[in-house]
Amino acid sequence: MTTVGIPRALLYYQYYPMWKTFFEHLGVEVVVSAPTTRKTLAEGAARVVADTCLPVKVFTGHVISLVGNCDCIFIPVVRSLKRKSYNCSKFLGLPDMTRAVVREAPPILEIEIDINQGKGRLYRDIYRLGRHFSWNPLKVREAANVAWQAYLEYRELMCRHGLTPPQAIDNITSTTQAPESALDYTDLPQATIGLIGHAYLLYDEHINYQLIQRLQQYDVAVVTPEMLPGHVTEAAVNKLVGKAYWTYEEEVVGAGGHYLEGGVDGIIGIMAFGCGPDSLMMDMVHRQATRQKTTPFMCLTLEEHTSETGIITRLEAFMDMIYRRKQRGETVCV
Amino acid sequence: MRVSLPHMGNLYVPCRAVFEQLGVDYVIPPVNNQRTLSLGSRYSPEGLCIPFKMTLGNMIESAEMGANTLLVPGGYGICRLGYYTRVQEQILQNLGYDIEVIQLGVSDRKFLGILDIIKRISNDSPWRRILSAFRFGMAKLNTIDQIERTVQKIRPVELVQGTVNQIYTRAINAIDNADDYDTLKRVRADYYEQLNQVPINQQANPLIVGVTGEFYVLLEPFSSFDIERELGKLGVEVRRATFISGWTKFTFFLNPFGINEKSRIQKAARPYLKRDIGGDGWESVGEKVLHAKEYDGLVHLAPFTCMPEIIAENIMPSTKENIPVLTILCDEQIAKAGVLTRLEAFVDLLERKRRSRNNKQRVTV
Repeated sequence: MTTVGIPRALLYYQYYPMWKTFFEHLGVEVVVSAPTTRKTLAEGAARVVADTCLPVKVFTGHVISLVGNCDCIFIPVVRSLKRKSYNCSKFLGLPDMTRAVVREAPPILEIEIDINQGKGRLYRDIYRLGRHFSWNPLKVREAANVAWQAYLEYRELMCRHGLTPPQAIDNITSTTQAPESALDYTDLPQATIGLIGHAYLLYDEHINYQLIQRLQQYDVAVVTPEMLPGHVTEAAVNKLVGKAYWTYEEEVVGAGGHYLEGGVDGIIGIMAFGCGPDSLMMDMVHRQATRQKTTPFMCLTLEEHTSETGIITRLEAFMDMIYRRKQRGETVCV
Repeated sequence: MRVSLPHMGNLYVPCRAVFEQLGVDYVIPPVNNQRTLSLGSRYSPEGLCIPFKMTLGNMIESAEMGANTLLVPGGYGICRLGYYTRVQEQILQNLGYDIEVIQLGVSDRKFLGILDIIKRISNDSPWRRILSAFRFGMAKLNTIDQIERTVQKIRPVELVQGTVNQIYTRAINAIDNADDYDTLKRVRADYYEQLNQVPINQQANPLIVGVTGEFYVLLEPFSSFDIERELGKLGVEVRRATFISGWTKFTFFLNPFGINEKSRIQKAARPYLKRDIGGDGWESVGEKVLHAKEYDGLVHLAPFTCMPEIIAENIMPSTKENIPVLTILCDEQIAKAGVLTRLEAFVDLLERKRRSRNNKQRVTV
């Protein structure tokens, strides 16, 4: 049986259940690389030029760790999911870059998702992807439909039960019942923190130094962009910046804008150093927070030189400030 | 209404021609200098590239000079540059300037969108006048680029260093002051004549180095440390595919019909990079592949944290067509002396490579 490797990085957190269903329906085995370690990052960073952003370095490391474990590697290119909004160059050049820097990599399966080119083109591309494993167009179509259903269920699971993507993926793959509430708290949460940023930064525990766990240790309930339904984030994007410019802008601006309206005691933005879209989008949220002066906002920038202690110190200071505000019942930030 | 535009090389010359003919009050911000860059970087978000910082600096300086309408290129589907206007507008507002920022959409309606905006700011001039003014601007732009091309050829072989640069500066001024087609034609012939009479070293066989990368740092010498002049001083002939006239013409006019010199470059890049990744990353890879035979080396210019160029930089070393590439990242922290040292080392390397190749040929003969 053919095996397809999927690197546990970048779009994995958004779409893994969908891809897995699609490939398994076509009779292909799916292999996922192990969670990020220091070695993954070091190996990935050694191959690419120094300016490449952290998530892409991690991605390259995962591809290297998949070499020898699978027959081909699946790297999709998501150009646009909405009219007139496009994705960052790093996503668009990912398969070609991987081919160039990881010479020993097995063949790369790629598919370009571009809604602006029309539906026909999308269906044709999906069929081309499926044709590697099945000549039968109907079978590919069925697999695609089942995969889409799986994706919708996955989103639903995260929205309704407040699960983070890794928890939801565990939930789907291990066939246990959905838990009532995702995050186990020893005590009732003292405060709610909105985490905004791309999924590949929020849920990769190695590169963000177990941020979510750490926050939970402070008795804090964490809410993330994936737990918000699509229409809510879209409305927030429209309000804050007008028409969306980037493909995954909702995760930052949408969620940030929504949390700034209320419901959380503080917002932490996570971005990678040198991230093109985020350098502008985080700034937009930052400016809005400065204008409103109601919800405290902190932005953490991650790169491979970020030190764990630095992050802890900033988190502690931020949480202290939030608890003090809550005790005094202050509503305005200065 | 006092209109202003951020600098990009000699773009101010044709703009002045267009606006003067239409009777629009055009404010030219001071030529890019250290103050522009400092102002720009002070008020920019930290992670942004040098084009953002320089243009923001220009905007602040023109606002200080009393401009109240800014025209800035932008639009979706390119790199993040398309989004800059919206952020810059907010920054200017926070600084307390009451200024309108008009986005010149390079992707929406191409050429027609630009004409619409010109019509709006020129108090509804008749279309005939707008078109004729635009044509005159383009004529000036083409003249500048033709002269620049000649300058690039003569600069490395001139006997007295600096002669050509002086003529070039005078030529730009003369073109800027030309009022009609006749004067422009005369100026052009005159400076061609002057350039051709510059005493040159006949035996010299200069190295040929291509300059490629992101368009803003290519076209704005201040942001890329005047790299063409420095290479010229080292006795290297510079070839550059991106010219302002080419850039404007192709993005505004010819792209809709697919007639385009760029498509040749893109076709060359296809085996290594299949699709457009926004910005000029595709073209950078393509130029390396396409010109590997004619050039001795390639200088790849990119702003720091430029997304498309990082992808190109990652892909370039793996192409079969192999020529030395020197990537220089431009930002406000880099010192010119450091860049010059790297350039000198690069040129030394190219010279040695050419010498050893010539020796080998002699042995085989």
